[in-house]
Amino acid sequence: MKVQFFQIADRRINSSLLRFLSLFAAMLLPPSAMGQEVSAYRVGKIITMNEKDEVINNAVLIVRDGKVAQIGKASQVEIPEGAEVIEMPSCWLVPGFVELHNHSAGASTDLHDYVYLTNPDLRTLESVNPGTENFKLARAGGVTSALLISGSGTNMSGLGTVIKFAEGQMGDVVLKFPGSIKIAQAGNPERYWFRVGRSFMNYNLRQTLQAARDYHQEWLDFESGKTKQQPLFDPIYDPFRGLFRGEFIASMHTQQYQVVMMTLMLVKGQFGIRTVLDHSTFDGYKNATLVIEGQDVITINGPRQLYFDGTQRRIFGNAHRWWQGGIPKLGINTDSPVIPQEELSYQAAMACYYGWKTYEAIRGLTRIGAEALLLEDRIGSLRPGMDADFAIWSGDPIDPRSTCWIAVIDGQVVRDARGELRRF
Amino acid sequence: MKPMFRGLLGAAIVAAGILSAPARPARAAEPPAKIALTGARVIPVAGPDLEGATILIEHGRITAVGADAKIPFDAMEIDCTGKVIMPGLIEPQSWRGLDVPNETLPVAPFLDVADAMDPSRLYFEDALRDGITTIHVIQADSTVIGGLSRAVRPIGLTPDEMAVAAGLALKMSISPRGGYDRMQQMATFRETFRELDEYTETIAEQKYEESLSKENKKVDVGPAEARQRGRKLLTDADHDDQHRNLMRLKRGDLIAWINVGSAMDVAPAVQLATEHGFFEKTVFALGSDTFKAIGELKKAGRPVILPEDLFHRERDSVTGEIRETFIPAKIHEAGLMFALQPNPNSSMAERYLTYQAALCVRHGIPRQTALEAITLNAAKMMGLGDRLGSIEAGKVANLTIYNGDPLDFNSWVEQVYIDGILAYDRSDDPRLEELLRLEGVAKEADEAKRQAAEEAKKESAPADGQNAEPKPTEESKPAESTSPAENARPRRGGGGGR
Repeated sequence: MKVQFFQIADRRINSSLLRFLSLFAAMLLPPSAMGQEVSAYRVGKIITMNEKDEVINNAVLIVRDGKVAQIGKASQVEIPEGAEVIEMPSCWLVPGFVELHNHSAGASTDLHDYVYLTNPDLRTLESVNPGTENFKLARAGGVTSALLISGSGTNMSGLGTVIKFAEGQMGDVVLKFPGSIKIAQAGNPERYWFRVGRSFMNYNLRQTLQAARDYHQEWLDFESGKTKQQPLFDPIYDPFRGLFRGEFIASMHTQQYQVVMMTLMLVKGQFGIRTVLDHSTFDGYKNATLVIEGQDVITINGPRQLYFDGTQRRIFGNAHRWWQGGIPKLGINTDSPVIPQEELSYQAAMACYYGWKTYEAIRGLTRIGAEALLLEDRIGSLRPGMDADFAIWSGDPIDPRSTCWIAVIDGQVVRDARGELRRF
Repeated sequence: MKPMFRGLLGAAIVAAGILSAPARPARAAEPPAKIALTGARVIPVAGPDLEGATILIEHGRITAVGADAKIPFDAMEIDCTGKVIMPGLIEPQSWRGLDVPNETLPVAPFLDVADAMDPSRLYFEDALRDGITTIHVIQADSTVIGGLSRAVRPIGLTPDEMAVAAGLALKMSISPRGGYDRMQQMATFRETFRELDEYTETIAEQKYEESLSKENKKVDVGPAEARQRGRKLLTDADHDDQHRNLMRLKRGDLIAWINVGSAMDVAPAVQLATEHGFFEKTVFALGSDTFKAIGELKKAGRPVILPEDLFHRERDSVTGEIRETFIPAKIHEAGLMFALQPNPNSSMAERYLTYQAALCVRHGIPRQTALEAITLNAAKMMGLGDRLGSIEAGKVANLTIYNGDPLDFNSWVEQVYIDGILAYDRSDDPRLEELLRLEGVAKEADEAKRQAAEEAKKESAPADGQNAEPKPTEESKPAESTSPAENARPRRGGGGGR
């Protein structure tokens, strides 16, 4: 009962007063009667990643029924009676990391399908495998959510799924579907059997997106009463209506100046699709101006955080160059299993080694990732009402010496390494 | 004035987020309202040279040229005394602007180079440095029908920002693409155009029937007549992508840019162009020995792009003698319009268009013809002769400023204006500066080596004489059987020298 009420209040009624009332109502009832679980985390530092970028020292976070209920200074937050208290006064509590480019939460044989050069009808939802060892490994690295996408062997390889690395079965781990449409403009689809070149790939991609948009437009015309005849339902292009309504994103396998530029010109510019630039490596950073002009374009950089510029004979940090270019929203990915997802924080550490800023890197792994997935109201920061997805680290998570002791997803401790010596 | 432009350029660089050199690719600035370049020797190409002339530029266009051109009160004046101003050079065809030069599909008229252009290529920066303001980017030769080309300026962040004219020419190659032989190549052309005819007939008939049914009329003529009438009703939108550009080619809306890699390809090229009605819009890009079909080329009278290497060399199989032919001389003799291209494969000066033109002058071609071959002719071939290629009122302000005669190889490109924007300034070229610095270092090293060699010679000379100085100690003695001078020269793997 309570669960439904809480969720409805949270999701549908976007008023802080009502939200407060719902919280209040929940508090009036004894926890046992509602079957709810309350736990309290007392830590040295909470990186909230909220709108004010608050960092709270000597803080307490209360989890109630899978959601963050309260957050604040230890001296100001009262720990509810009966709550399970976890005391880690020297540790940092950080929102769970969000991995935007993941291939390893499914069965590995389902990575590619080379039958066509564009495969708008494939869905990674069907290959999610909550039983893989990778789920455990991800939690060990403080990674709590990921966008599971298919490979980049074709120009369009299907719809991605946002999952949580939670314990349980399909229903417990799928957070959002479709989470994205995976598109690759270069740098792998060349392997297609008749060896396509650059201009053909962009032509081909444009054709597919055009077909999908035409389908969407047909339906819009029908729904608005402009046309009388109901269009035929197309199971391939129907999910794309959400893409053109801005409900999910295009996750782009893109890198190098020319390809990133074409992503911005074609996917964002010509079709107005919410675009997330995955990889964006090599000299892709030279597109910073175009990314800024793209406004809601988010860059999720990596893996491999450095670029050797042959003409200048210098090594650059990719993330640092993007940041220097002034782009406001920058994250990091691992392309797991290229770099295992549990090493997401290492990728950020590398980015910082080459000049990026630590706090920005933490934000890039958390809130920016959530914003990229259009899930910033569920994950990526710690505010009352948000999913209780976080990790407790021995220190700064971007510092490679730090250990992720505890990982929590939906309020459940899914990893507890206290007393263990190995990291993963 | 100049600092202001540099400020604009600087702003573009900072905006691009590239805080240290290099600035490529950078957003193109807006052209200044009015500027007047004064005092220079102007080579308009469209007419005789002008001494001490003024070029007035308003919003990127040339509005007046001449010694007596009036400078409006609100124009910023830039003193170019002692300089020589040329129209910006034009590279008539290049695939170096492409990320991948060729497509794999043999017949791909629906493709556009804009989808594969890479504005971040250093090639574009080099083009500016060499005074080139317009580049015709087109697919390379390994194709049958290779897609649409685009004329660009070497500034801007995206192919659209760089565009001078989009969808300009359709690339074709008579010389066989990789993996094809000549018969297969020509059979592919035949099949393509025959299929196009069949397709057009089908949609023409449909179109005619549709037009009748709109007026509730019944088909009143036989299929042949219906097709005839339907053809007149067809628009671009009626064709699918595979056929649209071929139709436009046949209709004369596209330039046929045909690679004619050898002499034997000329006749089939002329036949193909004539048969399908685009002969009048054809430009031939020649290979090294294509000039041997000079009679056929002359008869065709179409403009030609000369190969990158202007010399054709043949070795006599018996005597081993090498015979050289200077291709432009043959083409000029035949009275054909030609355009030169730089030779990127040459480590020598052939990579500069001005040097290619100077070579022509050296081989007896009139200076005016040589200058046209690197400016106006290419513009005309692209159908842009009314906008580019010469310094005349009404044309786009694409200018290259030299500190001496452009065909003198001691002259530098000082500034380049594109659409009235100061796009290149030699005093603000960190990469060139670095190159010259390295050259200086190398020169110093050479000088030091030379001196060391001389000193070593001096030292060894008295040793042969009677009053010899104390002989060098064992340690400092050079290795056996090498002269001191030789020893002073650094050798691979052998240390020595400095």
